Amino acid sequence: MTTTGEVALSYQLALSNQLDITANNIANVTTPGFQSSHPIFAEFLVSVDETGEQIAYVVDKGTVRNLNPGPVNFTGNPLDISIEGRGYFVVENEEGIAYTRNGAFRLDSSGQLITSAGAVVLNDSNDPIVIAPGESQIDVTQDGTISTENGVIGRFRLVEFADEQELLNLGNSLMSSEQEPLEAADSAVVQGMLEGSNVISVTEISRMIQLLRSYQAAQQLITTEEEREQQAIETLTQIV
Amino acid sequence: MRSLSIAATGMLAQQLNVEVISNNIANMNTTGFKRQRAEFQDLLYQTVERVGSTSSDSGTVVPAGVQIGLGVKAAAVYNIAEQGNLQSTSNPLDMAISGAGYFQVTLPTGDTAYTRAGSFQLSPTGEIVTVDGYTVDPAITVPADALQVTINASGQVSVQLPNTVAESIVGQLTLANFPNPAGLDPQGDNLFLETTASGAATTGTPGATGLGVIEQGFVETSNVNTVTEITNLITAQRAYEMNSKVIQTSDEMLSTINRLR
Repeated sequence: MTTTGEVALSYQLALSNQLDITANNIANVTTPGFQSSHPIFAEFLVSVDETGEQIAYVVDKGTVRNLNPGPVNFTGNPLDISIEGRGYFVVENEEGIAYTRNGAFRLDSSGQLITSAGAVVLNDSNDPIVIAPGESQIDVTQDGTISTENGVIGRFRLVEFADEQELLNLGNSLMSSEQEPLEAADSAVVQGMLEGSNVISVTEISRMIQLLRSYQAAQQLITTEEEREQQAIETLTQIV
Repeated sequence: MRSLSIAATGMLAQQLNVEVISNNIANMNTTGFKRQRAEFQDLLYQTVERVGSTSSDSGTVVPAGVQIGLGVKAAAVYNIAEQGNLQSTSNPLDMAISGAGYFQVTLPTGDTAYTRAGSFQLSPTGEIVTVDGYTVDPAITVPADALQVTINASGQVSVQLPNTVAESIVGQLTLANFPNPAGLDPQGDNLFLETTASGAATTGTPGATGLGVIEQGFVETSNVNTVTEITNLITAQRAYEMNSKVIQTSDEMLSTINRLR
């Protein structure tokens, strides 16, 4: 195959990755605190000969997360907490510290506040938040202070990051970071509300249509190129 | 083509969502029913190119890596223990709990189950039983000749006997509560069982710290909010459709490949 076909093929591979990312966004359209991802395409230049002529292949250089806040929905559940601002909750599981914006919390059998996948939510001194048996009136104020009928029992630890794009998705709505997190300065929490997924369905569907058509266009290019080569061979053999 | 299986996880998740919502709607008139909610989380991610990996010999780094998520999964379906409305029935043996707590019911197997549905009746021997005939624990027998049964807010059951002025106390109801009521295991028939996720039951008299009070002559209606359920149903259906569009797109891309000569 000639380079024309290969350039088209590199585009198709990138588009196929883009469809995977779009499919993941759409699958998570109802996942609380989910941030949609989008690929960044770049050209990858290759010199073909000594004249300095270059060919640009397509590579998907990276994925960026859409950091816009999702819609905040009322649930009425006292253990649903949403974050206003750029903060993250700090949680801990077997693999260590992780961060999440999915505030759909619940209690485990020992009364510890956990995420829906079982990671323990930490307070501002990095200890688990424990609701004692019999405490049923749970109130969370805007600054994250948790109180029950027996008084204040702790405060959510909220952190922010200098470079949010560096955070890696771990699945289970968790993220990890190698940065030192900063204590949240301008984040507030709201009780009884849950931040929805920030996936915008219209954008995703139109992106999907667009990428399908681009994929077919690249395919057309490969087919046309093949026909051109075949013609060239036929024409040249006739001359001989 | 990961997108086919990713969209399949999305469709499965939305199907579960619709199942949970339809069960809520079906139980909108069930006494003491607690609505459920399906909670979703993103699945694992495949890191194709890591953030911060070197992109040239001069030491430039990739500002954002390539991470491809593999879809969605249901993390939990849990009961939302929000208080339902109290509805007056004027039936002396209907009891609603205003606040936290569960009635204890002895199952025919001898195990203890827990319920918020306080529409009780009397058995042939005068015991207070559920609509299925299971004894309410602690067992309380109402004498056959009792003229009137009174249950006060703290669960004391007293009866008015013929030819007496003072009411006589025949029993004391207790309520059970859990560290995590959302972790109770629903058994159907409005009954729940204790699990490791719910924690051990602590019992006490109604009105004690952390426990609700008993309202005689009322039942607690289901806490299903139909408007919320219908809007959730619409969201779930559209999300299901969107995932099927992804499958269509993947299919068209695959057929494009198949048309390659």
